[in-house]
Amino acid sequence: MVPEGCNYTLGKGAEKMSVDMNSKVSSFFGKMLVVNLTTGKIEDKELPREWVDLYTGQKGLGSRILMEDFDVETDPLSPENRVILTTGIMTGTIVSCSAKLAMTTKSPQTGTISDGSVGGHIGAELKYAGYDAVMITGKAPELSYLHIDPDTKEIRGIPEFKGLGTFDTEDKLKEITKDEKLKVLAIGPAGENLVPFSCVSSERYRQLGRGGMGAVMGSKNLKAITIRGWLDVGVADIKKCMEMSMAAHIEDGVIDPENEIYTHGTSILVNYSQESGLLPTKNFSEGRFPEYENINGEAFKAVRLNKKACFSCGIACGNYVKDGDAVVEGPEFETIALCGSSIGVGSRAEIIRMNAVCDDLGIDTISAGGTIAFMMEATEKGLHDFGIRFGEAEKAYKYMEDISFRRGIGEEASKGSKWLAKKYGGEDYAINVKGMELPGYDPRGSWGMGMAYVSAPRGGCHMTAYPVGEEAWGTLDPFTFEGKGKLVADMQNSQFVKFSMGVCDFWPISDETIGSLYEVTAGGEWPAEKVYAVGERIFNLQRMFNVMLGFDRREDTLPGRFYKEILKEGPPKGHPMTKEAFDNAMSEYYSYRGWDERGRPTLKKLKELGIEAKLVKAYSVKTGIQV
Amino acid sequence: MPLRFNLADCTGCKLCQLACSAVHDGVFNPEKARLKMTHEYNKDGIKIRSSSCIMCGKCEEACPTGGIRSNGRWMVVDNDKCNACGACVEVCPTNILYLDSNNNTIICDLCGGDPECIKWCPKDVITLWEKEPKK
Repeated sequence: MVPEGCNYTLGKGAEKMSVDMNSKVSSFFGKMLVVNLTTGKIEDKELPREWVDLYTGQKGLGSRILMEDFDVETDPLSPENRVILTTGIMTGTIVSCSAKLAMTTKSPQTGTISDGSVGGHIGAELKYAGYDAVMITGKAPELSYLHIDPDTKEIRGIPEFKGLGTFDTEDKLKEITKDEKLKVLAIGPAGENLVPFSCVSSERYRQLGRGGMGAVMGSKNLKAITIRGWLDVGVADIKKCMEMSMAAHIEDGVIDPENEIYTHGTSILVNYSQESGLLPTKNFSEGRFPEYENINGEAFKAVRLNKKACFSCGIACGNYVKDGDAVVEGPEFETIALCGSSIGVGSRAEIIRMNAVCDDLGIDTISAGGTIAFMMEATEKGLHDFGIRFGEAEKAYKYMEDISFRRGIGEEASKGSKWLAKKYGGEDYAINVKGMELPGYDPRGSWGMGMAYVSAPRGGCHMTAYPVGEEAWGTLDPFTFEGKGKLVADMQNSQFVKFSMGVCDFWPISDETIGSLYEVTAGGEWPAEKVYAVGERIFNLQRMFNVMLGFDRREDTLPGRFYKEILKEGPPKGHPMTKEAFDNAMSEYYSYRGWDERGRPTLKKLKELGIEAKLVKAYSVKTGIQV
Repeated sequence: MPLRFNLADCTGCKLCQLACSAVHDGVFNPEKARLKMTHEYNKDGIKIRSSSCIMCGKCEEACPTGGIRSNGRWMVVDNDKCNACGACVEVCPTNILYLDSNNNTIICDLCGGDPECIKWCPKDVITLWEKEPKK
């Protein structure tokens, strides 16, 4: 490692490096693989450079590809829905944390546009196979997998894989292809059975977790996608790329051995959340969990066997842990909160086991935990007897299995907490936004986080903005809405462009650094303002999709519990968050975004952002918005 | 003076392989690297392996033209003598030596004594054999 403060220069070996300052080489290839599973047709298609200039890669490019000549009313589980894979602009290069792969689709869980990203090595593998993107439509005649490498693109039937977990699916695909290096995206029984919160797994423990991507693949009879690559990724200026990457890795603490994401991983957040009184406990009825020390960062560190990094990542957040016979890479904070404190389980081994069970079945730990927590509370409150109470870990596994195979109680439970509350009552306690269960931060302990949840295009998600970091653990007051509209919107814009570049959440990278790394990898000129504008553009693009489907501020709201009940312990105690105050804050947020009072982007705003006239016109026609 | 690896600390990020292909080939391509790290899950848990030139000299012995020899620190390929017969590739016990698409024999040259892989490893996994590994 280069010591801190040292100016990195390329060594003697680099003397042979050919440097062409006027190189037209770009880390963006401009190539998409288009696959129709119904007809079996597979072809290469050129991606317009304009799309990349406007929306960059990953979630931005994925959203743009999805919206090209797409009927937003498409049934998410119909053959017409699209599964879109996109790499980041810098994926495959030496830039740290830049190799995440995005999947974009219309979600069966929320009915909104939905994208997620998965780490590991598969994003880089797709790049080395020669593609920036893959778009899959149609439905295969039998359970199949799609194989992609530079020489071969094939749809291959594997009906015998029916019902297999994601772990076995990956192992068996490596066996039949006789290729240990194969990278795999796989669904488990939950995806095959179209569970709306089924996920897609890669390298066993990495997930495209949210929004039911597994069900979309399942509806296409697509059990897996396998990728191998060996082609070169060139960049606009390789010398500068290396020097700037190394400088950024040092300056931003990416390779700092004291970085908590390395020393502990996200489990470090258990203590922070407990301290701040916002750790979801018993379905968000409380914000502190008495047994938190059994399931905090130190507890999981004590049973860690190895650290694991994604491709090109200097941090290494992954923790391979083993407690008794329970083994997993993880658990991430969200899993600890939703499959631990929120269901009243304070056992490290049980959480590890539940994490592995969910990964193998192919269901999202957040929505699975959130749904089960709702059933537990409903049972305890006497709303409906779901046969499970807080703390019953053994039953929770069984429910996870039943959900994945949609049998017995799982048939209804697989529809999620929102659906259950509609049928059995208790909507105030169904902790979701737009049908997606909330992650591990009680919004009463970080009011801005509540705004981030409701404005996230894909539903109750913590990835579009992370005000909790500034509010509960930083310098801002968590218990006021003042200035939060701007804070949340600015954070969302920055996150959206960061993710679209393929950069991971755990690199606190600035728009300036993103811009300069863009210039030396994909080429062009990228001042910080241009970078920021991309984020705002993509955020609006995704909002357009949802507004065309009739979503507006009516859906941008939290479950009743958060307005009606006050947390009794820790910092949030004595700070009621009223619905009226929340609604006013959202009005401020919409106004800062340049949207109308209903939370709908105006045509003026969309044009200002440079979103293509064709898309703006379709939006206007569909929504009736004229100005 | 081969590379040595403290595999317990390897996280499988492949920054070493990326740096290697960048300085030698001017592109990013881990498959072209002169060292290879494997860090994958299988049925039994996690599998971590390294593969690099161990300076065993078997390639030198096998070469019919004297096209590859040790300079005491690393193996040097003489492209004028090498006829790309692949005999060295056959005998390489770590499977790290290879012929590229232009029939050049590719082996680690320790970047002329200042290996990029060492500089890029974020967890100090790689050292030169002559030194004690850093703690």
